[in-house]
Amino acid sequence: MDLTGLKWLQQHQQMVSPEFLQILGSDGREELRKVESYLGNNIYDTIDGCISRTSSFQMEPVKNNEENRVIALGNKRKPEGKRETIEKKKKIKAEDETESSMKENSNMSNTETSSEFLKQDYIHVRARRGEATDRHSLAERARREKISKKMKCLRDIVPGCNKVTGKAGMLDEIINYVQSLQQQVEFLSMKLSFVNPELEFHINELSSMMVDSRSFPLHQQGSLDYSVINSNQTTSLNALKIETSSNWDVHSQCLYNNLRTDSVSSFFSLK
Amino acid sequence: MERQIINKKKRVFSVEPNKIPPSEVFTRKYTSLLVPALKKLNMNKNSSQVNQLTVKHEVDMALALSAQEFAWSRFLLQKLSSSNNPTTTTSSSSSGIRIQERSGKEGGHEDGEIEEKLRELQKLLPGGEEMNVEEMLGEIGNYIKCLELQTIALKSIVQDTT
Repeated sequence: MDLTGLKWLQQHQQMVSPEFLQILGSDGREELRKVESYLGNNIYDTIDGCISRTSSFQMEPVKNNEENRVIALGNKRKPEGKRETIEKKKKIKAEDETESSMKENSNMSNTETSSEFLKQDYIHVRARRGEATDRHSLAERARREKISKKMKCLRDIVPGCNKVTGKAGMLDEIINYVQSLQQQVEFLSMKLSFVNPELEFHINELSSMMVDSRSFPLHQQGSLDYSVINSNQTTSLNALKIETSSNWDVHSQCLYNNLRTDSVSSFFSLK
Repeated sequence: MERQIINKKKRVFSVEPNKIPPSEVFTRKYTSLLVPALKKLNMNKNSSQVNQLTVKHEVDMALALSAQEFAWSRFLLQKLSSSNNPTTTTSSSSSGIRIQERSGKEGGHEDGEIEEKLRELQKLLPGGEEMNVEEMLGEIGNYIKCLELQTIALKSIVQDTT
């Protein structure tokens, strides 16, 4: 089929519709895949025909946005023994799809060609052998893959998830953890409300330091590190690796706004 | 004096935000918001009674304001500002609809269980009910991190005074 197939595609300049794929049959699909990989590999070649074709491929999606398309992606991933893969692109409208599809695709094919095609708003889904290839199930699968990716990320965040397997158990863990964190915050704020009158003393210290140093250049204010708040206990804050930096500048603005003491208000009326 | 301020403001923007780890940024923002807010509370209410609810309010406000790059903080801010004005919010009606849905699905079905748990999780996250599942799962990660940082900050503030 080789060259004739190529020429056919070149002539028609069309994207391949799913009906066409079905007509091709499994053998035809294999052929088509070869053709696609050939096209994909040649994107950076100096063969004129290929270049013109690839450039026109990029233009196409602007016109025909409704169909399923098969676009050559330069698939260099070795197909596993029993798997026959067809790549389809689907247009699914969602806001942050392009990023995830970029990630997926960079995992699937290690070429740079993928970056060209990913400027479009498509999801790259791989249909495996024996699985349905219609639009809805592909969308379902894409969605499920995304969700499982996010669950994996959450595994790293939530402690104690190593033993638990499966979605339900993970979700349980996450719920428990979030609830316990929220309860902790409530408890601490309650404690804070009892302790608050004494807090004033330290806050006064803090604010007076800020007020005095306004006449100095603000980078000196960076020395206002947490030793003012905690003379004894610096361990938990040091764990966050807080260093003096002029990032304080940004926050001192809103800090001063909150203070609203007489000495400061005139200074910051110029916001 | 004005020129000094303008110069300082200029200097503010010269810092490259990429180099500072986000946990640090958050913690600084949080403490710098919360501490003076608490002080203001003390000043305004001259009596020793600082209401627990207002402290919680300030705590939540500080959390929402220091994490403004995330979606849930917007919802939290909305909630906080609406709790000041006691008008009916839309969230109550949406949660009513959700409860109806849930009662229809309880059949020990495995998928239903997972969906139930997802819904519970949505309730925990501020604004979770308005998001779809994928978005919510992403936001939950951020929310957890910010909650952790918040607890650390609160602990250090509390421990300092005792």
